[in-house]
Amino acid sequence: MILFLWVVSLFGFIPVSQDTVVLTEVEVYAPVLDRFAQGQKVISWNKKKLEDFQGRSLADLLQEQSPIFVRQYGAGMLASPSFRGTSAGHTAVFWNGLPINSPSLGQSDLSILPTIAIDELSLQFGNAGALFGNEAIGGSVHLQTRPEFGKGFKTSLVQQVGSFGKFNTYLKGGYSTKNLSLSTKIYREYSKNNFPYRDLGQIGTPEVKEDHAEFNQRGFVQDIAWNFKSKNQLKAAFWYNEADREIQPLMGSSTQDLQSDQSIRGVIDYFRFGTNSVLNFKIGLVKDDLLFNQSLSKTDQYFFGGDWDKTVSDQWTIKGGLRFSQIHANLSSYSSSDQRIESYQSVKFEASDRIAFSLNLRELVYQDQWAPFTPSLGMDWLLLKNDEHELMIKSSFGKGFKVPTLNDRFWQPGGNEDLLPEESISGEFGLTHQIFWGVHWSNSLTYYRMNVDNWIIWLPKGSLWTPANIRKVSNQGIEYEGAVKGKIGVWNWGLKWSYSWNRAVSIKGIGESDPSLGKQLPYTPQHQSNGQFSLENNSFSAFFGTFFVGQRSITADNPRLMPSYQLVNIGVSYQNIHFKKISIPVSIQVNNLFNTDYQVLYLRAMPGRSFQFNLSINL
Amino acid sequence: MKFKNIQLLRAFLLSFVLFSCSESEPEEPKGAYEQGILIMNEGNFGTNDGEIYHLDPATQALKSNVFEAENLRPFAGLLEDIVAAKGNLYLVSNTGKVEIVDAGTFKSIGAVSGGLDQPRSLEVVGSKLFISDYGPYDASYATPDSYVAVVDGLNGGLISKKIKVSNKPEDLFAFGKYIFVAGSEEGKVEIIDAEKEEVIKVLEVDGHPAQFFEFNGTVWLYSIDDEEVYFQTFHLDNLTKATTNALPVSNATGRIAIGNNNLFYLITSSGWPDYADGVARVSVLGPELDLDWMRGSGFYGIGYDRNRDEIYVANSNGFQSNGRITVFDKEGMEIRSFDVGRGPSGFLFYN
Repeated sequence: MILFLWVVSLFGFIPVSQDTVVLTEVEVYAPVLDRFAQGQKVISWNKKKLEDFQGRSLADLLQEQSPIFVRQYGAGMLASPSFRGTSAGHTAVFWNGLPINSPSLGQSDLSILPTIAIDELSLQFGNAGALFGNEAIGGSVHLQTRPEFGKGFKTSLVQQVGSFGKFNTYLKGGYSTKNLSLSTKIYREYSKNNFPYRDLGQIGTPEVKEDHAEFNQRGFVQDIAWNFKSKNQLKAAFWYNEADREIQPLMGSSTQDLQSDQSIRGVIDYFRFGTNSVLNFKIGLVKDDLLFNQSLSKTDQYFFGGDWDKTVSDQWTIKGGLRFSQIHANLSSYSSSDQRIESYQSVKFEASDRIAFSLNLRELVYQDQWAPFTPSLGMDWLLLKNDEHELMIKSSFGKGFKVPTLNDRFWQPGGNEDLLPEESISGEFGLTHQIFWGVHWSNSLTYYRMNVDNWIIWLPKGSLWTPANIRKVSNQGIEYEGAVKGKIGVWNWGLKWSYSWNRAVSIKGIGESDPSLGKQLPYTPQHQSNGQFSLENNSFSAFFGTFFVGQRSITADNPRLMPSYQLVNIGVSYQNIHFKKISIPVSIQVNNLFNTDYQVLYLRAMPGRSFQFNLSINL
Repeated sequence: MKFKNIQLLRAFLLSFVLFSCSESEPEEPKGAYEQGILIMNEGNFGTNDGEIYHLDPATQALKSNVFEAENLRPFAGLLEDIVAAKGNLYLVSNTGKVEIVDAGTFKSIGAVSGGLDQPRSLEVVGSKLFISDYGPYDASYATPDSYVAVVDGLNGGLISKKIKVSNKPEDLFAFGKYIFVAGSEEGKVEIIDAEKEEVIKVLEVDGHPAQFFEFNGTVWLYSIDDEEVYFQTFHLDNLTKATTNALPVSNATGRIAIGNNNLFYLITSSGWPDYADGVARVSVLGPELDLDWMRGSGFYGIGYDRNRDEIYVANSNGFQSNGRITVFDKEGMEIRSFDVGRGPSGFLFYN
């Protein structure tokens, strides 16, 4: 507590962090997330946990099991993450180290990032402009595929059938030796999405069936990794995804919009492992075509970079790198291109086996402008460690930035080429306490504080809408997470729960009389919580999950609040069906068990109770 | 991306004596919402939070979200126009529907919900509703299939016919069996015969037609372009153009309020790079031409209470928050201000 107060008095505000999840084993090419993110809060999901969410979207996973709020524009529709009260555009999203946010929109749609395509997911919270560059303001999402070696031949077929016409098919195959790893995934996710809902936009608010929200997504993922000459590795990943969607209209609207998204993402990494060092070259491609009705937006991003990571001594680790990005955009309203060069440096100092500091720096130039210089400083301090307890303090400070999106700068009419980058500064302080008394019990608490300045919003000017650097926002909040797990006889059980409080208010708006000043940002719940209970033995497992989302306002001055809601999901699975060498696990789950009528965003209908049945055939 | 076209509003109720019957019906007591001022809040694109507020100018009592309060469901639309006719209020939603409520009680009595795309305004002739509609957007966000939809039934129902008109029809004006259509994009006024349900005449006019109004015993059209505004009249016997008055008001947005003493109040917006909004005060019949009568920012709608000689200026607050109304006296001195709903854009003064 004394230290806590010391930090408060020294820095004026309290940054806090905590880490709930023990990071996966450090590999030689462990991403910066593991190596230089001291003091930052990171939550991860491994392959097995992601498989539990197969057939549901990344949006569902993040909403149900993390402190972030996902703004969902309907079932299977646009879903954008909001970390700590920031906007969708304040989240950097990476796939195998490549930034995949659309350069024209400056964000990603979580509904069309299927969990099947990845093997590992990590969320990093708070400003990390130094580690991750553009758009890492509220936090960042890291999607990874992971090559396996020495596992031989594996295949599986998964079929899911569910309510509202859900019909998902997944085919996975992999082959690996000690030095070569091949993995292929092919998938199709389909839902008619004809769920019933009460239409508030019609006289008598009749119950109707949604008739314009069909979702059809297909894709292909190929991973190859090859170890050669003992100290070299070549790793390549390719991901093609296409999603055709009928855009679910708002209640009261009769739009019949159609959207098709096609994305091609490819990355090749070359690693050379030296004595206590890793040299990496990376080239990547991210190509997005978005067809909205007949209006086509095409963006291409090409990346080329390299870095060198060196463990200098027991205490010092350093890293430095460069990245070039070439971006082309061709939209119905404008065509443009952008070039970016960034350099980054990291230093880690391990003062003892208990305490480590990291310093990260990044400089980015786009067109002829400098983005704000973004340093970050972090600390992990294992204050206490014995057979029964472990107490860790994490603290970090950092800056973040967002280069104005291409739409902000070039959209015709209205685009504003004079926009400044959005800029943020944040700090956090966290405690993680673990107890080992037969059961494993952990608690972690993080306090954070953040300011985002030059926040870009589009405003009507006469008959034209145009963006400007208007808003300044002050955020602070607390994130608490607890988990306990144990064993009774053959049963493993686990309970996890979390609560977050987030206050994000405008402190500068449109003029001094702006009624939003001092008010919570729209669609930003102050309170969220979730909990999951799981029980399993060798052949049987069951889960019960629930999450709560507090009131959200529709406008920045908060006169109209949308009600809070809580949903419950349950599921059971049985893994012990075998036929010779083939295993056939089956599972069933019920989502929105109590058929709760809710909206995430105003007048966007969401489905009631639904069932999902999964059958897998593993060879 | 962000389409927020200028919408039009009916500044005051028009009463037609042309076809008035000889027998005078006993006057019914007016309902709670048939007096005072209705404030139209357009709502935000993508949120459908349009609503109506009611103001009693005598007591300044303000009632919020009248539609939801009386019908226990949200309006769920972008409110483009309010038209009072035959005891009904027609609430035209740009999102593809017209909600019909009793003008006195605001209780829902019907709707036109199927087949509309982006309705803009409405007019009633006999038992028929005529609804101007942009039609759907094409690939380049143009609207080549604009129309006026016909519905037989004062309480709504199905569309019986769509009459093709020039791009982006806005205001409608009924005169006898004729309906004048403000063809905003192509500078046309189409005249529809309400019985035949077809366009019988197309007039080329100056500027982009924004709004019709009755004034000084005849029908006027207010239209705009970048440099000037135009007040045009029509020969109502042979349906031809009569007079045109051009005034050098640049950057008018199409929003107009009709005051007393032949004065008109026009919202202007300078655009890039200053984005300064203002109100010009002009006269067609008199000498008044004050281009800079009022200055400010965020002006989105304007209205004039001719009973009290007060001008109402609506500020949208950039649609980030709810909007605000500021009331001025006829010399432009601020009297009071109050918060209303999202994107306040127009007023209906019951006088």
